[in-house]
This record gives sequence, structure tokens and C-alpha cells, in this order.
Amino acid sequence: MADDRDPRFVPIKVQDGFAVIPDRWKVDFRVSAGELSRFYIELKENARLMGTRCPNCGSVYCWPRSWCKDCYVDCEWVEMSGKGKLTLCSRVEISLSDIQKEVPFFQGGVHLDGARYPVVVMLRPVEFEDLHVGMPVHAEFLPSEERTGRIRDFYFIPDE
Amino acid sequence: MNDRVAVMGVGNTPFKARHIDKTFPRLAYESVKAALEDAGATKEDIGSTVYAIYNDFFEHCAMPDLHIHYQLGLARKPGSRITCGGATGGYAVRAAVAEVASGMHDVVMVVGVEKVGDVANVFDMVKSITYAADPFFEASLGASPAGSYGGAILWHMENYGTTEEDMARVVVKNKGNARNNPDAQSPMEVTVEDVLGSPLIIYPLKILDHCLNSEGAATIILASEKAVGRFSSDPVWITGVGASTESGRQAERDDAGKSLFPAVRASALEAYEMAGVADPGSAIQVAEVYDSFSGVEICLYEEFGLCGWGEGVQFLTDGRADMGGSNPVNPSGGLIGGEHAIGATGVYQVVEIVRQIRGEAGARQVPHVTRGLAQSMGGARGAYSVSIVVEG
Ligand SMILES: [Zn+2]
Repeated sequence: MADDRDPRFVPIKVQDGFAVIPDRWKVDFRVSAGELSRFYIELKENARLMGTRCPNCGSVYCWPRSWCKDCYVDCEWVEMSGKGKLTLCSRVEISLSDIQKEVPFFQGGVHLDGARYPVVVMLRPVEFEDLHVGMPVHAEFLPSEERTGRIRDFYFIPDE
Repeated sequence: MNDRVAVMGVGNTPFKARHIDKTFPRLAYESVKAALEDAGATKEDIGSTVYAIYNDFFEHCAMPDLHIHYQLGLARKPGSRITCGGATGGYAVRAAVAEVASGMHDVVMVVGVEKVGDVANVFDMVKSITYAADPFFEASLGASPAGSYGGAILWHMENYGTTEEDMARVVVKNKGNARNNPDAQSPMEVTVEDVLGSPLIIYPLKILDHCLNSEGAATIILASEKAVGRFSSDPVWITGVGASTESGRQAERDDAGKSLFPAVRASALEAYEMAGVADPGSAIQVAEVYDSFSGVEICLYEEFGLCGWGEGVQFLTDGRADMGGSNPVNPSGGLIGGEHAIGATGVYQVVEIVRQIRGEAGARQVPHVTRGLAQSMGGARGAYSVSIVVEG
């Protein structure tokens, strides 16, 4: 993998008498966030965590949904407090991701106050042993110059 | 189901980390040829084909089924592809059963194939899988498939006291069973200590707790009851098919009581109802289940009703899931010892249960099997699941 050439133009290799053809798929995207746009814009511009609420049944969704899957009506935007309870914590020792390369890193489930479902988020405890299921946690946001509008822009730490 | 559906032919390739000498269409062809021979059929008997191929990246092709179908000499006959994560094979069998049971076709073939090792390295292989995550939110975390199953296992540990040693026993069993399966990828005599000492991926899952990545193919040939007489083999019947889904996000679950894999539970109950299975503990004599991670298999004993909630470890340590136990689970070696050529897996599970019912399972034969269960699942923490009851 020290070879940085585009594999599509690298000569075939021969392994045990069989040809192996180097190849590559590379596709870039420009994803329209559409009706979910406010979530990303508030996150990047204002360090706010937005959810949505169903005007019919009152369910609060974060990650936001633009319609309620039970009531089939459009939801309205609400700001989440960023506080919640830890539902799960895990320590990743071997990263197979090209997004999170440095290990160990911590991910877990957080049930945000008022939300219908937990979400999976980044955790940044001082020590992994500080984390306990059920403990209160809150979101901290990266400084504005580091925020890119992705959910990696914030992470959760234990309250006090 | 309107019409009864029989399995008339089964075939598969050996499963390996790498078939350097074969392309994915060739692997598919070899399993098809074996299944046709097993049924005493020719390709002219096939009315329709359903392909179980999970991930475009593994075949480096977005329509891999087309390129197989034509080369099988089946052009101008219907062919379609199912892709449902780890449940791809199960859902493909279900689609084929529906084509037969509805009366649309008398003979339908299911071909599962995957060539995972054509992805250049394990990082790109896992990346190919993580592209299935919720694209608007969770994907940007770079979360791994291990994480989604790990959550359920951690819950089981906290609530029932399940230990890493308990989970390691599943690995010892399944890699040990694989020693009796000549087609298995990873037959091994391992100890609990070996498993506990293997490198940690994400607590509590270690390398040896992890399912295999395999290359290989499996095919079954289904027929309607009125077409059974065209074949030389004895019919084995698919009597129950259940399928279900859940949220594709890892933590998003509506209340499912004690069920950690609610889609699995729902699919099993549906299949049992269709097959008339009232007491799975006595009715399911053998099972091939989706042991994506060792601890998951312990949870599955409970989801399938082979034992009560929280009794999975006891079920295992009592030896009930062992060869010689009351309900042997994964005699083929499962995903940990046998194979996980993802799209092929759910098809190969049916192949194995058919062989058990026919008494053709060789050194891994469970005595006097008349009924078995095949179950596959995929997506974040079993978001897709299919359960299939097969009977002699
Ligand atoms: Zn609603």
C-alpha cells in the first residue's frame, strides 16, 4: 500500500500462477441535506443540537426526522438541551475506519433528554473507567474553526 | 403459503479466505452445477433465479447477478438480485419461496455468492460494509459493524452476568464443529484461553470472537409440489419462512421487552407459526444461526425460544447446543468456524439443514433430524432477519 499510483493503471500481478488485477472505485458525492438542512447549519454555525417534534404525538426525534413515522405529519424543529444519559459505552481498540484513525477512541449511546430514541455518538471521557451506563452526560462542541457540520463536531462527557 | 415448496437440490463450493483461482461467476457456476446434479436436473428445468449477493464492492460490480445469469445460459429467463446485508441469503430464499408458492414458477433457483477477498485489504473491506450506515448521521462517525453487535452483548453481560469466558465457549464449539465440515474455512482446535488471549477489537469482542470473511458460493433449487416428480432427489420441505426488520441505526429501537434482536424474534415467531412449531425447544432439532460474534449466538438461543430469557449461557454450558446435545447449533461451524461469504451464508445454512435432514452430513450428522432452523441477519444489530423452518 506504499504504492500510491491509481491501481487501474498498475500492471497486473501474478500470484500462484493466477492473474490479480488491481482496480479501484472512487466516487465523490455532493449530498443535498434538503429538509434536514437546518440540523447541519445550526451545528456548524451556532453549535446547536437540533431535533424535531411531532405536533400530533409529541415524539421528539434527534437525529431529526422531517415527518413522524407513526403519525405521517410533518415535524417542527426544536433545540435539544445537549443533556442526556449514557446508555452504552465502548472502547474501540482497533480502528478499521478511515474516519477515526487514532485509537483507542470511545463511542456510545446517549439518550438525550426528551428524545424518543438514543443516538450513537463520540465520547471523550478522561478515562474509560469514568463511564457508567445510566450516568448523566452532556454535549461539548468543537470550536467554530474546527466544526465541519458533521456529528463529529460534538462529543459527550460526564456531567461534573 | 398457497403451494408447498420443496428443496430438490443443494450445492456449494468449499469456503476459503481466498479463491485466487476462481472469479465470482465461476464460484456461482460451480455451486449451481453441484445443485443441479444433486437434484437430477438441468439448467433447462430452471424457471427463475434469485441471486443473493450482498455488497457491490466485493464483486466490484453494481449488477453482478446479470453477469452470472447470462453465463449460466439463463438469458431470457427471469433473474433478480436480493441484497439485505447479512440476511441477503435468507431474504433471497424467501423471495424464491414466494415465486414458487404463488404458482408463478414451478422451479426456482437461489444462488448466493460473495468474493470478499477481491477488496484490496481489510480496511477497505470494512469500509465497504460501513457504507451501509445511516448516510445522514451515523455514517460520519466511522462506526464499525462490531460496535453495533457489541451493544447487545454488553447489555447481556450487564443484565445476566454473561462473561467473556462464556462467549469464548461458543468459539471453541463452532471452530471445533468445523473440523467435521470439509467445506469449512476455519476448522480449529482452540481453547477458551486462546480466545481470551486474542487481540481485542472493541470490548468485549476479540479477533477470535469475530465471524470469518469468506469467498464461496451456495445454491439451492426449489420446486412446487407438483414438480417434485421431475427430479431424482427426495424432497425436503420449507414449511415456515419469517422475515422482519428494525431501524438501521444502532441504538434506535422501539421497546421490545427483553428481546435484544427484535427482528430476529419476530422472524422466528412468524416462521414457527407458519410451520406449526409450538415448542421450539423440542421441535428444532438442529439450527444454523448467524453467529456474527460469539456472544450473539448466546443471545440467539433466547430469541429463538430454545431457552428462556437470560438462560442462554446455561443452555450453552449444559451442552445443549453441542453436537450430541438436545439442539445442536451450527454443526457446520457457523460463521465463526465454517464460512461467512456474506450473500452465500443464508443459502448455505439451508444447504446444511437439508443435508442434516437427508442424513448426508457425514461426520457432523445430527442423528434422526426431521426439522431444522436456518436464520440469517444483517444491518446494524440485526436490522434484517430471516428465519426458515425446513422439514423432512
Ligand atoms: Zn407522531
